[in-house]
Amino acid sequence: MGTACGKYAIAGVGVSRFGKVPGVSAMGFTLEASKRAVEDAGLEMRAVDGLLAVMPAAIGEQHGWAARVAAYLGLDPSFCTTLDMGGATACGAVHVAMAAIEAGYCSVVLCAFGTQTWPQGVPLQLFGSEFHLVYGDVGAICFTGFIRRRQQFEYNLPDELYGRVAVTCRAHAQRNPEAQMRKPMTLDDYFHSRWVAEPLRLFDCCPNTDGGGAIVVTSVERARDLRQPVVRIIGVGQEHRAEVIVPTGDYQELWGGTGAARRAYASAGIVAADLDCAQLYDAFTPRVVNDLVAYGIAAPEELDRAFARGEFTFGGRLPVNTAGGLLSEGHLWGFGHVREGVRQLRGECSDRQVADAKLCLVTGYGGAPHESPPTVSYSALVLGRD
Amino acid sequence: MFTLEKPLPRGTEDTAPFWEAALRGELRLQRCRACGHYRFPPAVLCPRCSSEGYEWASLSGKGRVFSWVVVHQSQYPAFNEDAPYNVAIVELDEGPRLHTQIVDCPLEELTIGMPVEVVFEKVREDVVLPKFRPRRRSA
Repeated sequence: MGTACGKYAIAGVGVSRFGKVPGVSAMGFTLEASKRAVEDAGLEMRAVDGLLAVMPAAIGEQHGWAARVAAYLGLDPSFCTTLDMGGATACGAVHVAMAAIEAGYCSVVLCAFGTQTWPQGVPLQLFGSEFHLVYGDVGAICFTGFIRRRQQFEYNLPDELYGRVAVTCRAHAQRNPEAQMRKPMTLDDYFHSRWVAEPLRLFDCCPNTDGGGAIVVTSVERARDLRQPVVRIIGVGQEHRAEVIVPTGDYQELWGGTGAARRAYASAGIVAADLDCAQLYDAFTPRVVNDLVAYGIAAPEELDRAFARGEFTFGGRLPVNTAGGLLSEGHLWGFGHVREGVRQLRGECSDRQVADAKLCLVTGYGGAPHESPPTVSYSALVLGRD
Repeated sequence: MFTLEKPLPRGTEDTAPFWEAALRGELRLQRCRACGHYRFPPAVLCPRCSSEGYEWASLSGKGRVFSWVVVHQSQYPAFNEDAPYNVAIVELDEGPRLHTQIVDCPLEELTIGMPVEVVFEKVREDVVLPKFRPRRRSA
């Protein structure tokens, strides 16, 4: 990967209404976000000739989802397909968009997503393998709890660290009028939140979010003629391998995504220390701990003190999750992260603007932690101001 | 509010032998005939050497707790009658890691590395779930 790096740009980003929004379908959110992203780019909808739609897993089997999104948008795309990497899809779709334009399949690609967490008035369907579900081992929460337990065991990490991650994201969300969770949170509040699956408390988990997001990708040249300051995609990385808890016993790597990090930095020609801000995929607090280590930003032993000293907030070494992250802005499957990264580099974040932000890392993470074997994908973008 | 019963394993061509062995009180996994790798979950190919030949080998049933969580609120409502309950990953002496449950052990006594051994819990006349309990010192 990487030959396309530097040649393509994110020209537009958008989100739909999001939060607890009953009664709107996944398609409804997808269309709403798509229109906003295309308008943000200063394009007419008919300029879109490539469409990548995210598989809305909550609905179950959805054949031809992307083609249906195209039909609703009135598009006639020369390239159109559904992608399925869960929370890794936002960054992953950008990778595919670059490849499709590089291959000459299309020139303006819309990456679109929407989800309704209570599709027919019932919670989203739960899938899971016969080897997990029968023990009450359900979903990403147990999976993440297993991982956090290993993180703390191997590096003697204190519970406070995870609280500080949650508190930091909440403080950032207070600077974001759109955020789903804006009530102030202290470390004490964190420790008083109820257990969900020990070692995870409620405030270790992001809220359920209904909503959608969209991204427009095109060439740097074309983007320069459009409405917004150009944000270049200068590095990309992926990895597809569950971390420490894979069932084979022969893969002992605790930190997941190191391969995605290596590939992203190599294609961008940068090191972690060059970054001005980072949007790290944080469906749960241990993911932020993981990504800070896996992406070479900090050593595990220094994390707690670094958070306590404010190194990951505004004015610190590397502000992370500047809009509040999935934990407090809301869980738009990483589309919020891409949008925030783009907006930071455009300099349009007012109260939460990172001064002179030139480089932003965005990470994604997702898959099927409740299946057998548990599998996840890691994806990353290094975005740069033109 | 809708209700769901606890799910029970429904084996496939690949996985049924695991559950049939459990019904007989045996812990069996596929071992590759070509490279000797014990694999889990069951499948037609060895993930290490892609060979198709295997045998359902009997395992010692001994292992150690690799990680665990205590579920207080399950996303699957039927399990909430058991809350708080544990779900654990046990790393077997032969290598594979199984998601399972630790029984006969107070939640506060669970530790990473705890030696455990398999037990077979009958949940229905025709369904047995392998679970694990702390290993006796003498074992």
